[in-house]
Order: sequence, then structure tokens, then C-alpha cells
Amino acid sequence: MRIFSVLLFILLTGCSAKPIASSAQKPVCDLPYSPYQATVTGYCQEPMANLPHKLKVINKRITIKPLNEIPAVFWFNEQMQYSLIKQAQPAPVIFIIAGTGASFESAKMQSLQKSFYQQGMHVISLSSPTYANYIVNSSNDSLMPGDLASDAIDLYQVMQLVWAQVQAQNKVQASSFAITGYSLGGAHAAFVAHVDESLQVFNFNKVLLINPPVSLYNSVSILDQYFDLKNNRPAAVAMFEEVFTRLAQVYARQKSSNFSQGSIFNLFKDTNLSVDELRLLIGATFRMSLSDMIFALDVSYNAGTITYKNHQIGKFESLTHSMHRTSVITFIDYFEHAMLPRAQRQDASVSKAELIQRYSLHAIEDYLKSANKINVVTNADDIILQAGELTYLQQVFAERAKIFPRGGHCGNFDRQSFVDYLATQFARPSNK
Amino acid sequence: MIKLAIKFSMALVIMLWLSGCSSAPNLAANAVPPLVDVPAPDEQLAIISGYADPWQGMNRRIYYFNAKADQYLILPLVRGYRQVTPDIVEQGISNFFNNLAEVKTFLNALLQLKPAIAAQTLGRFVVNSTIGVAGLVDVATPIGIVEQNEDFGQTLGFWGLDSGPYLVLPLLGPSSLRDATGFAFDTVAYQQAITELGIRGDDARYLNVLGAVDSRATLPFRYYASGSAFEYERLRLLYSKYREIQLAR
Repeated sequence: MRIFSVLLFILLTGCSAKPIASSAQKPVCDLPYSPYQATVTGYCQEPMANLPHKLKVINKRITIKPLNEIPAVFWFNEQMQYSLIKQAQPAPVIFIIAGTGASFESAKMQSLQKSFYQQGMHVISLSSPTYANYIVNSSNDSLMPGDLASDAIDLYQVMQLVWAQVQAQNKVQASSFAITGYSLGGAHAAFVAHVDESLQVFNFNKVLLINPPVSLYNSVSILDQYFDLKNNRPAAVAMFEEVFTRLAQVYARQKSSNFSQGSIFNLFKDTNLSVDELRLLIGATFRMSLSDMIFALDVSYNAGTITYKNHQIGKFESLTHSMHRTSVITFIDYFEHAMLPRAQRQDASVSKAELIQRYSLHAIEDYLKSANKINVVTNADDIILQAGELTYLQQVFAERAKIFPRGGHCGNFDRQSFVDYLATQFARPSNK
Repeated sequence: MIKLAIKFSMALVIMLWLSGCSSAPNLAANAVPPLVDVPAPDEQLAIISGYADPWQGMNRRIYYFNAKADQYLILPLVRGYRQVTPDIVEQGISNFFNNLAEVKTFLNALLQLKPAIAAQTLGRFVVNSTIGVAGLVDVATPIGIVEQNEDFGQTLGFWGLDSGPYLVLPLLGPSSLRDATGFAFDTVAYQQAITELGIRGDDARYLNVLGAVDSRATLPFRYYASGSAFEYERLRLLYSKYREIQLAR
């Protein structure tokens, strides 16, 4: 069944390695290092941190938007899902926001939950505003997900409702509030903190941005190129087939039909993926998140881009045609044909360049420079940062920036040095 | 045996009836076609479009039924089972059923002319059935006699039979016409083996229920945990690829 997990991992997860991380018994792997490898399989060359094996996660649901407004095709996404991990006593509360297209329970989220729980905090995990379950339940219908300021206002409302619910239903008592997020969720955390300065519901005393993009547009441009179906379709398709063929060959050669613990690393090692092939896998998983997001938006707004306009999709209706249609849409297309027109409907004078600026940390640069409670942690070789953006983070955050030399994009969440760093940022409350 | 045959033919009749169901959109007069075209077949990712699904209308209905059955019947059962059984007992039960499944692997390895795999599987079965206390403990894996996986679906594939249309089986999930046929044969052989072992009547029925609960409990898959509207499509691809990779062994 393990090979199934590997395929599932490749096909269904973006920037995450759940079956791999959880089944690794070997302290370190001997894969040749590259930031792409670290992004795909995790930075397994560094020893794993000592984290709780399993947490008692309370899966929660909350009604944000009236359920009868949710399209029938999303019958399984009625109510917004999130999770709570509770301390026995009153403790600081931390909200974590997931990365692009990721859910509250993605593999990356689970690693972070363990660290924060170990630091003695109540942990509330929220899906990304770009995740289908969030989109179809969100009452934000003015701007498209990815508009960081508008997402932040929406998130702030969701967080208040969620906080009220866990107080009422789970008797959670907070001594203070903090917020964090990884990847796009890191940028969201920054903007939510900014909203909190004026609305002052939570008064966050700590904000941590983990592997955030500096500019959403720049980062997605990079990821779009990794799996270039638009300009280089035959080559991308051929490479995809090639990766699967090689995986099958390596699997055929191995001794057991089953995967023993940790032999998944061997599968990756023997398949010997090139940099371009690793990029392809990263790009393909990103594209998959993007398809899900575009479909959820198209249905919610009756936009008619990849679905029939003025048509209520039935529960048993084939969606295969929509999936094929999304395969030619890049994130940049989404930006130009969905985000830009919608923003211009509100303010006709806004230009593309202005919008790119607005969807970046540059937009709140002054705030980020002055707010001492905000820290950033990333890797020097994070693949979503364009040339100069690492330096920008160092300039803006100065000594509040922690840069690890290696780890790719989000590859080190369960590794020793990263977990140690989190511990310095969130010192345990000193009691008993 | 006759009962089993009746069950299979009844299932077949229901599925044939369902296969008339459509998955095409039922469009109103004011519906407008999507702005973005479907890429031409030669431009499509073969990996996505390469698997025929002529029975999609039926398959999607069964998929939906499975998701609901899982939610309201099977998963509550699995949770109850997990609560009352200590982990070590659960592991023992899993090992026990895995050991019984070696019979299937052994027979199919022979049918595919793979003597090495057959011998290894036989070795596992003998070691685990004796030293491993009727299969409750897997002692073979630690000493290097590793697990293999063969079934009649793979045997049919080995002898050149195409997978046929994709098929979602009630409660069992993703399959194909070939693999479902293979599954029926394997099941008959399995029941025969159980009978040979002297387990009959109610005992056999309890054993089958326990086996079913165990196999669901050990499968981490949860319907719609991906949150994706395209989960049906992705699982279809995943299953088809998974079987191809198995067959390549």
C-alpha cells in the first residue's frame, strides 16, 4: 500500500510530505541535496526534531455563510472546517494559517501544530483563504483570494467567530494571542496583524511569518514556470510521463512489493529525479491546488470560465471537462483575468503594477519595519523568493529575520534547528 | 457457493441498470458554455486523460454512495472497533488477515509463472502460520522474507488482458472491469480456503465482517478529505497508475 501513499503524496499534496515525514525512521536520508529536493521530500539530511508523535486534535466546523447558499457540487464542503488542539490549563492561543491551496490539516500544518503545542499553546489551525472549503464558505465576495488586505479582513472575522466558538464549546481560556502562517499564510499573518492594530480584538503579542513570499506575483510566476503547460506543453507532458515510468521501474526492481519504513527515501533516491523533474513535481502540485481554487471560485461566483454559466452543477455530474479546462490556466492568467478585473470594478484607475505592489509585503512595509513583535523565518534557498527578495526581508526585519542556509520552501518544519528556533520565539509560559 | 454466485449476478444487474445513468450536465436554456476550451486530445496530459471512464454516470453515483456509507456506517464501526480493541490486538488481527491473503498471492504468483515470488510467499505463510502463531505475528518480515502482492486482476493483466473500463465498486471503491473480475475469483478462492480450514457458517461470517473492518481500519483514505471537487478524477488516475506500477513488477 505504500506505493499508493507515494502516488497519493505526489498527486494530492502540494509542498508537503505527510506519508514520508510520518514514516521516516531513519534519522537522516542520503539523498543528494537541492532546495527542490528539500521542498519535495523535506530537508531530511538534517535530523528530525523530537516532537510529539500524535496530538489530540479536535476537528471543528463552523457556519460562516448560510448553508443553502453553498453550491450542490460542494455538498461535502458545507461549513468551514478548522481544528483546535487544547492545553489543559489557560494558555496563550496561536492561530496558524495554511499556505496556498492548503487545508488546516495539511502535513506542514501538522508539523507546526506539534511545535506550538509543545511550547504550551492552544493551537487553532485555519485553512488558507485559497482552499476550496474556505472559498465556498467565505462571505467575502468583493475581491478574489490572494488580495492580501481583503483576505486579512475576512480572516479576522472568521477568527473572531472561531474564537467565540471554541470558548463556548471547548472552554478554551487564553492568556494572550499570537498568529503565524507558512508560505502564503505567512503573508496573510502579516496583513492580519496589521488589521489587528486598528480593530484590536486579539492584540497579538507575537507574529511569526514562516517562509512567506515577498511578492505574491513574483512567487507564483516562479511556480508557474516549473510546469509550463502553456508554452511548452509537449515537453512538460513527456517529462511527467517519464517520472512515472521511472518510479514504476524502481518499484519493480525493489525486493518487496511493500514499502518498509523509510524505503520511500530509497525510492526517491533510486528514481534519481533531476532538478527539472523535481521542479515539475512542485509545479504540478501547485497547479493542482490552483485548479481546485479556480473551480471553487468559478462555481461560487457563477463566472463561467471553466464551468457553464447559469448552470447548477449536479452532485453526479462529470467535472472532468472543467479539470481539463483548468490545466491551461496559470496563476498569472488568474491574476490578469480574475483578480485585476475584479479590483478594477471597485476602482477603475488601479493598474496592474499597483495591484502587484498591493499583493506584496511592500504594501505594509512601514508597519513591518516598526512592529517589533513581528519576526520572519525563512531559508536562504527558498525557491519562491526571487533574486533580491531575501535581502529585502533582511532589510525590513533586520535582527528579527532568521535565515536558515538550507531547507528550500517549507522543507524543515520538523527538523531540529527549526523547531529549536520556534522554541526561542515562543518561550513556554513559566508556571509550575 | 451458489449464494455467492447469486450475489454477484444481482450486483451485476444493479450495476448494469445504473450504468445507464448519465454524468453529462443537464443544461438550462440560458446556460452559457465555459469561456476556456477543453484542450485538444493530443494536447491533453495523457496521464490525466488516458483512462477511459464510459461508466462515469454509474461510477459517480456509487462513489457518492460510498462516501455516505463510509461516513454513517463504516467509519463509526471502525471507530468503535478501534476503541474496544487494544492496538496490539488490532495489529495481530491485521497480521492474521494478511497471512490468509498470502494464499491469494501464492496462487497468483504461480499463475504468472513467478516461482521466486511464489516460493517466498509460501515461506512467509509457513513461518508466520507456525512460529507466528496462526499468522498473528509477522515473524517473516524481520528475518528478510518480505511481503509480495499478487492478485487475479494482476494475473489477468500479466496474460495480456487490458484493464477495461474504470469501475467504482460499492463499498470497495476504485477498480476496473478486469480487477473486479479478478477480485471475484480471489474471493471465491479465499472462501474455499476458509472452508478447507474448517471455518463454516456463522464463524465464517464473523470472520468476514472482522476482515472487512480490519481492511477499512488499515486504509488511511477518507472521502473528500482532499476537499477537492476533482477528487473523483484524481483517485481514478491514482488507482489506474497504481495498478500499472503493480503490473510492471
